[in-house]
Amino acid sequence: MLRDVTFGQYYNATSFVHKMDSRVKILLSVVYMVGVFFVHSYVGFAWLTCFLMIAIGASQVPLKSIFKSLRGILFLLLFSAVLNVFFVKEGTLLVEWWIFKIHDQGLIDAGKLMLRLTLLVCGASLLTLTTTPVDLTHAIERLLKPLSWIGIPVHIAALIMSLTLSFIPSIIEETDRIIRAQKARSADFDTGGLIKRAKAFVPILIPLIISSIRRAEELAFAMNSRCYEGSKKHTQMKVMRMGWRDLVGSLITVVFFAAIFTLYAFADNAWLGANLPWLLF
Amino acid sequence: MNVIEVQNASYEYKTYNDDGTTGTLVAVDDVSFEIKKGSFVALVGHNGSGKSTLAKMLNGLHKPKKGQVLVNGLSTAVQSNIFEIRKNVGMVFQNPDNQMVASIVEEDVAFGPENLAIPQPEIVQRVAWALEQVNMSQYAKRSPHKLSGGQKQRIAIAGALAIKPQVLVLDESTAMLDPQGRKEVLAVAKKLNADGMTVVLITHFMEEVLDADNVIVMKRGKIVAQGTPMEIFSQQSLVEDAFLRVPRTVELAQRLSQAGWSVDASCTDAKALGGQLCQLLQKN
Repeated sequence: MLRDVTFGQYYNATSFVHKMDSRVKILLSVVYMVGVFFVHSYVGFAWLTCFLMIAIGASQVPLKSIFKSLRGILFLLLFSAVLNVFFVKEGTLLVEWWIFKIHDQGLIDAGKLMLRLTLLVCGASLLTLTTTPVDLTHAIERLLKPLSWIGIPVHIAALIMSLTLSFIPSIIEETDRIIRAQKARSADFDTGGLIKRAKAFVPILIPLIISSIRRAEELAFAMNSRCYEGSKKHTQMKVMRMGWRDLVGSLITVVFFAAIFTLYAFADNAWLGANLPWLLF
Repeated sequence: MNVIEVQNASYEYKTYNDDGTTGTLVAVDDVSFEIKKGSFVALVGHNGSGKSTLAKMLNGLHKPKKGQVLVNGLSTAVQSNIFEIRKNVGMVFQNPDNQMVASIVEEDVAFGPENLAIPQPEIVQRVAWALEQVNMSQYAKRSPHKLSGGQKQRIAIAGALAIKPQVLVLDESTAMLDPQGRKEVLAVAKKLNADGMTVVLITHFMEEVLDADNVIVMKRGKIVAQGTPMEIFSQQSLVEDAFLRVPRTVELAQRLSQAGWSVDASCTDAKALGGQLCQLLQKN
């Protein structure tokens, strides 16, 4: 049962976005996320949605998989929307009932917040859906390389991350095995109150921790045997190359976000406010 | 010429008793032997005989408390020698899952060369070469977790080979495998030895030592016998005394010949023995 859990949410395909350099993808995602926070008009949101749709289209990831990632933040979405609806005290009063007052600005803010969070999460999940955890680790290591010049052990951090990734399947398997072994010894995980159930997990956790420590020791032996010496000079086999896809992707992103930042810069422009109010809202 | 020389080496573990006191457990006790270049050495012993501890002393994972271990004349006790020693002594351990550092086969094999700071194009060559040696080239881009135990262990061997060592130490590398996986790993070890690699095989399966040039039998941290497989097998009481068992084929041949049948007592091959038995049956 636990074995079916796959780590990360990589969607296997060979699309335009999948083939882009993962470093570029991370950087573009950062630009996108910053952009999401700069947008304040509905035109801007439409513009962002348009960009996201193009990106999703180019990634061949089905919309369903993208929206799946929203389930995790559903509660957060609703909670923050409700807060906005009831506690924003600007604009015209629409409804007043007992202690609740709903203003039109509250509704607008709630709508924008929900849109913003949705766009943010969809964008982030597009990155993880089209990039394997291994590639992400490699990309983060290369991108953070400048930090190693000031003595931050980026390589070690990246190695820890990649080791964690490669050991997750083994540890899940181990957990599964321990659960079955304890069940065979008539351990009971499914009945009783919350505390009793929590206590029932102790016989799983302790063997799991012990075996993980043993694993770590064996791994350390294996790594040392293969000439690993921490921060010593090392090279990398994996070469990351940027191609035409990265150029095209970056160009499209730059065009879209240049528009958003321009819109943001002219938010207080009197002429635009007078002649094209819908653009600024 | 000797690649490895172990001279009066001892190693002890600190033990923690239930009553809070500590004690020492001597795992390797005043052991001396040499490993010749290009030879196939088998180190056998029962659980707790110290064979695995001894294996870890060959590349400086454990440093001798007394005596010394020399690899190409360099002592493992000197920290500045360690890198050079590990470049020459590759090691593969028991549990294939606990030796994988990456979630893609070729990246795992590249770990050693990367640590040696070898230029990127040569790493690619070495990884391809190492995977070819263990016949796993077609799995280069796969995740090791979906492979069988024998395949994982062959990848671990490739990971050691990519460092281009002179000696390959297999520290109970077959212990957790099914018979098929054991066969695969042994075949690779024999092939590498035929190509000139010095192989040290640590095991408690006596069937695996039949092709060794030199068998070292350990019991309670000491070497109790050393010699060719047949020399060892002919001393059955000694083997049993070390809590080991002579391979079935050998045992059968020995017993039959002891009982007066004209069977070659030094026969190690089941098929050859079968042939001899058939001839005997036809005669009688």
